[in-house]
Amino acid sequence: MTRADAVARVAAALGRDALAVACNGMIGRELFTRADAPTRFYMIGSMGLAASIGLGLALVRPSRTIVVFDGDGNVLMNLGAIANVAAAGAPNFHHVVFDNAAHGSTGDQRTISDRVRLEDVARAAGYRRCARVSTPEALDEALAAWFEAPGPSMLLVAVDRGNLPGIGRVELSPAEIAARFRAVCTSS
Amino acid sequence: MRERPAWATGVCAGLYAAGCRDAVYVPDNQLSHVLAEIGERYRDVRLALATREEEAVGIAAGLYLGGRRPAVLLQSSGLGNALNAVTSLVVPYQIPMLIVVSMRGDVGEWNAAQVPMGRAVRPILDAIGIAHATIESPADAERIVALTAATAFGTRMAAACLVPRRITSAPAP
Repeated sequence: MTRADAVARVAAALGRDALAVACNGMIGRELFTRADAPTRFYMIGSMGLAASIGLGLALVRPSRTIVVFDGDGNVLMNLGAIANVAAAGAPNFHHVVFDNAAHGSTGDQRTISDRVRLEDVARAAGYRRCARVSTPEALDEALAAWFEAPGPSMLLVAVDRGNLPGIGRVELSPAEIAARFRAVCTSS
Repeated sequence: MRERPAWATGVCAGLYAAGCRDAVYVPDNQLSHVLAEIGERYRDVRLALATREEEAVGIAAGLYLGGRRPAVLLQSSGLGNALNAVTSLVVPYQIPMLIVVSMRGDVGEWNAAQVPMGRAVRPILDAIGIAHATIESPADAERIVALTAATAFGTRMAAACLVPRRITSAPAP
């Protein structure tokens, strides 16, 4: 399964009010290109911090579903976030990790997630639900009710390496992304 | 019970007056006074512990996006850990936060490892365009913290309030 396809499938499973934080690199660009909405926050830097931003949001907006679109390189850069998410135990926090065992945005240099299974790390840290899927069918089946059950959860989606040719960049300025996102976060 | 130092009660009063109801922190010895004061006297301030300072900035960014006015409490050494988050998240996205920096490496320091970063704090903040103010006396703390926070949330930039060691290392009255 390509990462862009997996990103689109997860985005399609989000409720209208769900808030998504996308990590920097191709994952955010794919989410923007396939399924942009004001309820999405796209990072263009600060690698590793998507889960931390999601955690802050989950604490202050307990009635909203928070979904972090993350990558294996990002998660590995800030493993402390997994511990803190688990410790906080926020039931509205959901971590979706698109894992190609590579730094896909910088030339597919391999990471170590083929040897250190990140959903096992999350489970050991204390995430309430963790699963790994690697086919579109299994992903859709897992997504059917994934965000309705309490988190913190980690859905690890094993995806192929490689990027969509000609994928767009996030066209909004960072300040526009933040202002637009904050408006929908605080609207209810 | 040992009386809490005036600089610490001032810091707490200042951040509370500025509307901060969330403080994300990585503790140090000096900040423990601030944390204890918040825990006792400001029960409606949410304290969130981060594993490192970069993460603290990320959590604070999430809190701001969710509608809050966050404070980040860290030691000067930890500002080094947080720099990429400040420069690639906080500044370009215009995400304001009050950063309270417990200074090490300035006069009164005994640990050589603290000196290089302590000396670099102000030049670094200047280089990345973060406004900063230094608390010059314990009696000043509340006003300087409140002013720094007003700068942060008014201009939608992070702003830093530095608490020097000559103040934090003085014995409590």
